[in-house]
Amino acid sequence: MPDATDWRERFESYGLLWGLLLVVGILSVAPLARLLAEGIAPQGHFSAGALERVFSSAATWTATRHSLLTALGGTFVALAVGGVIAVMVALTDIRARNAFVFCFVLPMMIAPQVIALAWLQLFGPSSPLLKALGVAQTIGGRNPLYSPQGIILVLGVQYAPLVFLTLRAGLRALPGAMVEAGLASGAGPITVLRTIVLPLMTPPLVAGVALTFVSCLGNFGIPALLGIPANYLVLPTLIYQRMAGLGPGALAEVSVLSMLIGFIAIVGILLQDLMLSRRDFRVSTTSAAARPFELERWRLPVEVALWMWTTLVLVLPLLALALGSLVPAVGVALSAKTATLANYEFVLFGHDAVRRALFNSFSMSATAAIAIVAIAVPLAYFVVWRRTRLLKFVNFAIEVPYALPGVVLAIAAILLFLKPLPVVGVSLYNTVWIILFCYLGRFLVLGLQPVIGGYHQIDRTLEEASQIAGARLARRLVTIIVPLIAPAAAAGALLVFLTAFNELTVSALLWSSGSETLGVVFFSFQQGGDSTYASALGTLTVAVAAGSMLSTLLMADRLPAGVLPWRD
Amino acid sequence: MRAAWHRRFLVFAALAASVVASQAIGQAPSGRLVLYTSQPERDAAQTVGAFKKAYPGVEVEVFRSGTTEVMGKLAAEFAGGASKADVLLLADAATMELLKKDGRLLTYLNVDLAGLDPGSYDRDRTYFGSKLITTGIAVNTAAKSRPASFADLAKPECKGQVTMPSPLYSGAAAIMLGTMTRRSDLGWSYFEKLKAADTLAVRGNGAVLTAVANGEKAYGILVDFMAFNAKAKGSPIDFVFPAEGSPAVTEPVAILKTTQNPVAARAFVDFILSDDGQKLAVSMGYIPAKASAGTPAWLPAGTRIHIMATDIGKVADANSANLKRFAELFGN
Repeated sequence: MPDATDWRERFESYGLLWGLLLVVGILSVAPLARLLAEGIAPQGHFSAGALERVFSSAATWTATRHSLLTALGGTFVALAVGGVIAVMVALTDIRARNAFVFCFVLPMMIAPQVIALAWLQLFGPSSPLLKALGVAQTIGGRNPLYSPQGIILVLGVQYAPLVFLTLRAGLRALPGAMVEAGLASGAGPITVLRTIVLPLMTPPLVAGVALTFVSCLGNFGIPALLGIPANYLVLPTLIYQRMAGLGPGALAEVSVLSMLIGFIAIVGILLQDLMLSRRDFRVSTTSAAARPFELERWRLPVEVALWMWTTLVLVLPLLALALGSLVPAVGVALSAKTATLANYEFVLFGHDAVRRALFNSFSMSATAAIAIVAIAVPLAYFVVWRRTRLLKFVNFAIEVPYALPGVVLAIAAILLFLKPLPVVGVSLYNTVWIILFCYLGRFLVLGLQPVIGGYHQIDRTLEEASQIAGARLARRLVTIIVPLIAPAAAAGALLVFLTAFNELTVSALLWSSGSETLGVVFFSFQQGGDSTYASALGTLTVAVAAGSMLSTLLMADRLPAGVLPWRD
Repeated sequence: MRAAWHRRFLVFAALAASVVASQAIGQAPSGRLVLYTSQPERDAAQTVGAFKKAYPGVEVEVFRSGTTEVMGKLAAEFAGGASKADVLLLADAATMELLKKDGRLLTYLNVDLAGLDPGSYDRDRTYFGSKLITTGIAVNTAAKSRPASFADLAKPECKGQVTMPSPLYSGAAAIMLGTMTRRSDLGWSYFEKLKAADTLAVRGNGAVLTAVANGEKAYGILVDFMAFNAKAKGSPIDFVFPAEGSPAVTEPVAILKTTQNPVAARAFVDFILSDDGQKLAVSMGYIPAKASAGTPAWLPAGTRIHIMATDIGKVADANSANLKRFAELFGN
């Protein structure tokens, strides 16, 4: 006969599960379903016309090929860079580790177009660096970044911090004792890496790789900047072109193309699932952070290489931004005479939208990060430890809103929320709430995947022991699971915050006066030719972001170990 | 629905009270006005600011983005029910023609069109041009040669050094494409020559300005006000009015049929076309639609710009096919 504890336990457990599924359904499935309906039944009448037009067009398959190529290439570069750097930071004895991690993660705060633009100038004819080296091209030469290789390079650099954050959180759980045992038995560092570290780190690695693949697949900004001039189309830019060319009639075709992207993303998830189901990766000890690899004479060259990378990815774009914000107009050479603060004056005091955008972006990103982690931790509990088919479906459903181009998600949200909500009568349309809704649906996967990776590393015996002792689900989650999963959850929250802060493509269609976001204002300035204002805004954004990231160090003592990537 | 009604009631009650207190005459525009525009960010803010000064009772909500995004948002809204916008201020008349054909625009019969060129507004009074924005050739001051016509851009000495805004992302560029492909001296072969000369099609006029002013490209096809405003601030850029003539757009304003606030919407159109509104456009660096409002500082008084003749109806009809052909030529 089931006793009262059992009944309460089951109620709590199922209640939580179905509550989460409802939330995920509203956030992720509803917009997709509405979009799908528009694709196969535009204006309410079933029609396969859009399907036919899309699948018979050669452009579709060319763009699909290009998408796969750039996504795989970008993932490979991100994995190589982010993975190596994570291992260097976590497992070797390099100095100034925390400062380096801070500088490595900060580029995520700079809009990707800015980094791409800075590199374009770096390789372009007016590049001060190339002129200094004496290899500058004459005006009008073809920039080598306008190519699929350029896209892959910039995508890889853009998402290396993503792999880094996921892997670093996972490396916190690496039992130093095992590594030291391997070294003591006479294995060289490479052997230890290959046979002990990498197998144990498979879950966070796979999570990072899957996230990076989907990010590269759905990225619009970089292929738009570097691919359009090179006649190199990928699926997101093809969708945008269709929208531009066909106006109202394009929605159905846009919907079908989006389903194609979603399908590719789901295949990626299936592969990830396959990789994780073959082995058991649980680690039951929580030993202190180990620095088992001593680099000796390699230490200085490695440190130099790491800081050179930082210079390339952070310092140079930031310098380009800052210098560009001090000139009165584009193309004017910076000198003591021409330097001016007028751009900052305008951005801070002359244009209300900027202050609203700073406030909106900051609060929406922070809210989204916290809310998503609050959903992800219990959801991942069920996904990893109560494996049912419904939950597998959930995993796919969450991935798709992130893989789709932002403009498509925005259109789906418009279709859903144009009319006021049925019972409450409140309209979310043209407010910050519809943007927040999209952020929650879109970035849920960024919070969930690292946490799933973290769960794969936890041994369930601790939780089971407390269950036997009588603790119910909520209490177990809060007192046992959360401290264990804290580094992974924090990595997820940070990813969500950094990605949402500069977000552009979703809010580009959904914003209105009062609900501006930083990405939108920045892009509007650039589109209008006011790139000096854009540079001033960009520099301010990075300063604010760096400031808030540094301020977390003040709270560092009160947070569980391993939560902040830039603090040991 | 209820919340919206509550809000409107409160605004109206407050306004009614202030009207009684100040003994104002007539039906003053009030309430909320939603504007969708593709003007540059700063100009949109200035336009709305000036309108709010003239009509303080109206609360203006603005959505500003490129022509593509605005049309995408409108398309989604039409598919989802009814649009939330009251007035539109878009780059080109061809887009307005598409909306007019779709039956989306409200006819404003009693608008005051004194001083406006008949070619700048719709015969059926559904949209009205607010400015004249021409497209010409931008040249970096350090460039080796100085093209005098569009045809010069396709010559060998300019190979690999020309950038243009992609018509897929810019309303002005779409009109330029539609207008120039209908001419026998330019046509599609001109764009094929441009493509063969390694011309770069970038996303929007802003990107063209940045590329030419920075020296990445020596020559660009660009809208006039952007080049001249940058030059006035010190950018090393010059502007040439091409010998074949300048394709132009009129940045029309229109009212949507489904507007929730027709009084304020008409007031907005009136403001844009009024002397004050036209002088504001001049101060922002545009050529106004009303000649009596003056000319911007960069255009010496008495200069005649030779505008390329165009049939806006035919350009609008061919727009979709033109964009597809351009995409295949430059983008696939």
